[in-house]
Amino acid sequence: MSALLDFYAKHSRLIDQIGVNAILALSLSVSLQAGQLALAQAAFMGIAAYVSAILALNAHWPLPATILTAAIVSSVVAALLAYPVRGLRGVFLAIATIGFAEIVRVIANNLAITGGAEGLSGIPNDATTPVIYGSLAIVAAALFVLSRTKFALAVALVREDEHAARGVGVDVGAIRTYSLALGGAIAGLAGALYAHASFFITPADFGFAEMEKILVWCVVGGVTSPAGAVLGATTLSILPEAIRFLADYREIFNGIILLGVILFAPGGLASLWRRRAVRP
Amino acid sequence: MNRITASALALIAVVALAGAAGKSVHVGVIADVTGGAAVYGTPQKNAYDLANEDVKSGKIDVGGANLVFDVQDAATDGAQVVNLMQKFSTDGATPIVLGPTLSGEAFRAFPIAKNANLPVMGTSTTAEGVTAIGPSVFRDSLAESQVIPTTVKRTHDKWHYKTAAIIFGDDNAFTKTDGDIFARELKAAGVDLVDTETFHIKDTDFQPALTRIESKHPDVIAIGALFPEATKIIQQAGKLGIKARMMGGNGLNSPEMYAVAGPAAQGTVVGAAWFSGAKYPSNLDFVKRYTAKYGKGPDQFAAQSYAAAQIIATLVKGGATTKDEMAAGLRSARVIQTVLGPIGFDQNRDVKSSPVILSIVKDGFAYFH
Amino acid sequence: MIAQQLLNGLFLGAVYSLFAVGYTLVFGVLDILNLAHAAIFTAAAFTAFSLSMAGVPLPLALIAAAIVAGIMGILLDRVAFAPLRARNAGTLVPLISSIGVAIVIGAVLRGIYGIDERHFTTGGLDTAPAIHAGPLTFTIVELTIFLSAIALMLVLSWVLRSTSLGRRIRAVGQDRIAAALLGINLEATVAATFFIASALGGAAGVLTALRYDSITLDMGGPIELKGLAVIILGGMGSVTGAVIGGFILGAVETLAVVFGLSAWRDAILFGVMFVLLVARPTGLFGKRALRAA
Repeated sequence: MSALLDFYAKHSRLIDQIGVNAILALSLSVSLQAGQLALAQAAFMGIAAYVSAILALNAHWPLPATILTAAIVSSVVAALLAYPVRGLRGVFLAIATIGFAEIVRVIANNLAITGGAEGLSGIPNDATTPVIYGSLAIVAAALFVLSRTKFALAVALVREDEHAARGVGVDVGAIRTYSLALGGAIAGLAGALYAHASFFITPADFGFAEMEKILVWCVVGGVTSPAGAVLGATTLSILPEAIRFLADYREIFNGIILLGVILFAPGGLASLWRRRAVRP
Repeated sequence: MNRITASALALIAVVALAGAAGKSVHVGVIADVTGGAAVYGTPQKNAYDLANEDVKSGKIDVGGANLVFDVQDAATDGAQVVNLMQKFSTDGATPIVLGPTLSGEAFRAFPIAKNANLPVMGTSTTAEGVTAIGPSVFRDSLAESQVIPTTVKRTHDKWHYKTAAIIFGDDNAFTKTDGDIFARELKAAGVDLVDTETFHIKDTDFQPALTRIESKHPDVIAIGALFPEATKIIQQAGKLGIKARMMGGNGLNSPEMYAVAGPAAQGTVVGAAWFSGAKYPSNLDFVKRYTAKYGKGPDQFAAQSYAAAQIIATLVKGGATTKDEMAAGLRSARVIQTVLGPIGFDQNRDVKSSPVILSIVKDGFAYFH
Repeated sequence: MIAQQLLNGLFLGAVYSLFAVGYTLVFGVLDILNLAHAAIFTAAAFTAFSLSMAGVPLPLALIAAAIVAGIMGILLDRVAFAPLRARNAGTLVPLISSIGVAIVIGAVLRGIYGIDERHFTTGGLDTAPAIHAGPLTFTIVELTIFLSAIALMLVLSWVLRSTSLGRRIRAVGQDRIAAALLGINLEATVAATFFIASALGGAAGVLTALRYDSITLDMGGPIELKGLAVIILGGMGSVTGAVIGGFILGAVETLAVVFGLSAWRDAILFGVMFVLLVARPTGLFGKRALRAA
């Protein structure tokens, strides 16, 4: 037990990062499930991070209230974004949403209330490990319950064949909006937790580099399942620390591992698991 | 008998004097050796590698202690900075941490050190509010707010300019602070601010912004940038035939400025915390040996890191090996000889030293008179 | 001032175009976004630097570096895309493998060259004679870069339009399976596409490095995302569109500054892109332009 506590004391920050990153990966996997390559997750995360940090710093709101408000705000923004991009698919949707995210970042850079590039510091550090993993559990449970509903069926149908979905009376536009808004809410939750676990936020935290990371987690883990997203986020969050002993060769090894996983398991890490599980 | 007692007493005295002898002191260093800030973090790592050699060879006197600067790469990744700070906070073997490279990283990592009662010293984290994070947060780097007011005052006294323009990077804490302080100080000096342009870190083309600035005919252009962008701003201003005088802060204190920007850079005034040509005992030697080892001269990032190593060495020589002894040693330090000159810390744990105002000449920097 | 600013935008746009042409060519033929394009752009600049240090004249170094970049492009395809193409892995997975290759290229370059900025000359750009033509100021280097970029794009346009290789590339872009049925060697055509796309991206890297006399590890960073905006503005897969998109980008960036909005430059750029994408999802020219070109 004391060994466990000692391990936690040494690695609690990494453990918290993994939790937040797993929620982020889940948020992207929600839109990927609906066949939408919408890459504005980092922006939703950023909007929520700023909302919750500003509410905590300026209005002294308690943690649950700031998190909830932040998640709602980013969810609404996501739903509003869903309207103009409703006609876009594939990489066109990806690039439109990347463009949206860049605009959000530039706005955060130029507003007085966000502190611009100097960032916001001194954010209460009250998103503890139980809070983060409790949130992760709630998200995972909610997604699990959702996966047993007709909604999930409609989402799968929209992903596989939009025409067929329309044929059986599924409101494709609504499904796409809901899934983007849900993804936005989850990314917002992660963003609020991020702000309350990092002391400090700055617009650069929520740029294209962060979005690229989230996407890589999802694809390396396996785009088709939420479990894959969590697995990818966990593995790749640990990787840089796990290979620290490689010193100067760390960067190149990082790239080679990423490449290796993708080439040997294009279906992601989760597909390896499943392949083995099916074997007698 | 007498002789034995005498030598025993002498031995005790020696041990007491050289309290550090034989003791191991492991200093954690966090630097961005890879990633976007590698151009700033690598000179820092170079300086600590040189310091490690100098401790071994006895060039830096640590009273016989086994002092090691353990440089870890944070890859310009906030998460890695945080994880490293936690590692150093909990390994039970690290009495002080130097770094990280960027102010934003410091805002993330220093609170962790504060909670662990671990003293830290920034060597390049110049943003306002960094040392206010905790009672054991120090820095040996002069903040922009300590450098730029003097730069503006000295250039204004000399040049008597009426109008000025500012160009600064708006997506970086350091360069944004530069822009804000330049605006404040220029206005306070009664200078008419005719234009303010912004750029993004890693931009390479500044000609549209410079063309616009030139159309307003300012007497002076204030540059809020780090050297990779500053060299290009000055080069391109030269190409466009802009004759306005230029000035900048700490970010311009790099050999790159005269090596790269060429003749266009000459006459540019740089307010800084360190002068490579300063004749402090250890400084010229440091510059010479750093240049020999790495094939290029040190910049201010390297100098402030080497100075931090000298400060720690002085404390260790005085017998400090624990967290509390390090913090107490820094608090009570009055005058420590470093490559930055003799320095100490004020009650806010900021470095006590005055800025140097330099001017770029043909192959280096000179004092601005 | 406006004349000079338009010239600034034109010079800026030429290199954006050249970079984006390669970006869009790969997308037009294979439907994948190649996020290693910026890494090859950077690698070519370093290659040209090494060659010029070894005494190779700059024009020759440019050509050689572009060829090296082209070969890197073929290798990139063999390593990161071909195995996935064989397994029908879709468009998302290759995107990630190209990120992996980009990381590896960056790490190798850092290992070889270190983190310091490199320069072709020691004196800086201002040693090149500036030409003053009325209200305009520019250097011979800038003019040469501009003309080289235009020439390379004209050559590409001719290759795509008038050669049998061009016809094969367009056929594969239109319908891979039909092209294979018609007896077109798919893998050879893809390799040729990657060679051309990467050679042009590499040339853009060398020209960018020459223009600012600066070669850095992260010189590809800003252009990576802007390149996406360019190919959207012009229409994904459209070479003509990418050229025009590049010049639009140069103009938008410059005009943002002209109107005193430099702080909002990127927001304006991506705002224009977003609106255009929503209003006209196929861009100004759309993918069909490549097929018809």
